Amino acid sequence: MTTAADRKDEKAGKDETFEHPALFYRDGQEYTDHMVPFVREGLALGEPVAVAVPGPNLDLIRSGLGPDAEDVLLLDMTDAGRNPGRIIPRVLRAFSDAHPHARVRIVGEPVWAGRSSVEYPACAQHEALINAAFAGRAATILCPYDETRLDADVLADARLTHPTVIAGGRERASDAYDWQAVVDRYNEVLVPAPDATVFTFGSAELPDVRHFAVDRAARLGLGGQRLQDLELAVAELTTNSVVHGGGQGTLWIWTEAGQVVCEVRDRGRLIDPLAGRRPPARGQIGGRGLMLVHYVADLVRLHTAPDGTTVRMYLGL
Amino acid sequence: MEGARDVRKPAPAHDGAVLEVSPLSDRAGIRVSGEIGVTTRPSWEDALAELARRHADVSYVELSRVGFVDVAGVSALAVTAMNLPGGRVVVECPPPQLSRVLALFWPALSGIEVAPR
Repeated sequence: MTTAADRKDEKAGKDETFEHPALFYRDGQEYTDHMVPFVREGLALGEPVAVAVPGPNLDLIRSGLGPDAEDVLLLDMTDAGRNPGRIIPRVLRAFSDAHPHARVRIVGEPVWAGRSSVEYPACAQHEALINAAFAGRAATILCPYDETRLDADVLADARLTHPTVIAGGRERASDAYDWQAVVDRYNEVLVPAPDATVFTFGSAELPDVRHFAVDRAARLGLGGQRLQDLELAVAELTTNSVVHGGGQGTLWIWTEAGQVVCEVRDRGRLIDPLAGRRPPARGQIGGRGLMLVHYVADLVRLHTAPDGTTVRMYLGL
Repeated sequence: MEGARDVRKPAPAHDGAVLEVSPLSDRAGIRVSGEIGVTTRPSWEDALAELARRHADVSYVELSRVGFVDVAGVSALAVTAMNLPGGRVVVECPPPQLSRVLALFWPALSGIEVAPR
């Protein structure tokens, strides 16, 4: 007879390894054939299992699992992970932290055909940063990639951001694995639109720059909860500039492809690549500012260099 | 006098945001007006520490005259409520950011009750 304590001890032995394979799949059948046994194996081992993938793929897994689907947390990644920057804190760490004594098993599909070229760099950086965020944690995070519909460049990046790759049914170590290179490559220079309006602020202008951004965003068509979220996010970014970014900064705002785009530029340098993605201890007062921005925005792009940092957020109209 | 500071006084006007804190006359707690942000956070945190020291069963935080509170401001309130030995804090008429930040970072936090505007 195996007791709960025995199982805990068994897990303690293998707990320290983090596994992060990419799965290259060609069609729905191959997807189902791999995912359903992967999820069932986790359930059989007593591991908490979550699946965060785009809606149609979620349906494949749900119907493949039948009644077992009730034991799995199922999330539509196009919603939960719309902004790739919030997937680590809000999906992966949230699930892992909710089960502190167990090894967790997660299917995470943050890259799908239809992700825009503006979103993709943040997707690739997210995949890379999972390796840093989960080093030494008891978790398996499997990331499916649609081999037939995604660009060759995207699949090449997946070989850099995953230590192992499963293709054609076989799992191999990726000899290209180098996640830091992907973080660096997509640390792209960001240039505000020519028609952006700008506001320069220091500590004394924190309320003014917030009012400016809310007023501009409202004129550009943002309203309701989204406008309130923009106000909160602007307060956090401008405060970061005052506290960590040389005491002052500039805020730029414009619209682009049905979204309000707002960015804050300052002279600081962001050293910690996991800033805004590492949930702080519950009793800690600071450390949630950039995470708030990731939570409320549809997309966050970031550029940091020795002479300054730009954080840009997109909110859909 | 350099260095001396009375937290009950508004933060200096040249620092942008201003915060005033006064005790409620009819029940245990404080009335706050102004903005809760990085420049006024020391006053806010001092006021919350004082509230926690005097806390018995229910303490009230009246925020109808607060126009804005940032994430760390809400966090300070949530952490204060979390660390109370018992009872609860009733937050009255807070600006909309407060419920939003509580929902995002402290869902199902007991010890805090929000009475909306």
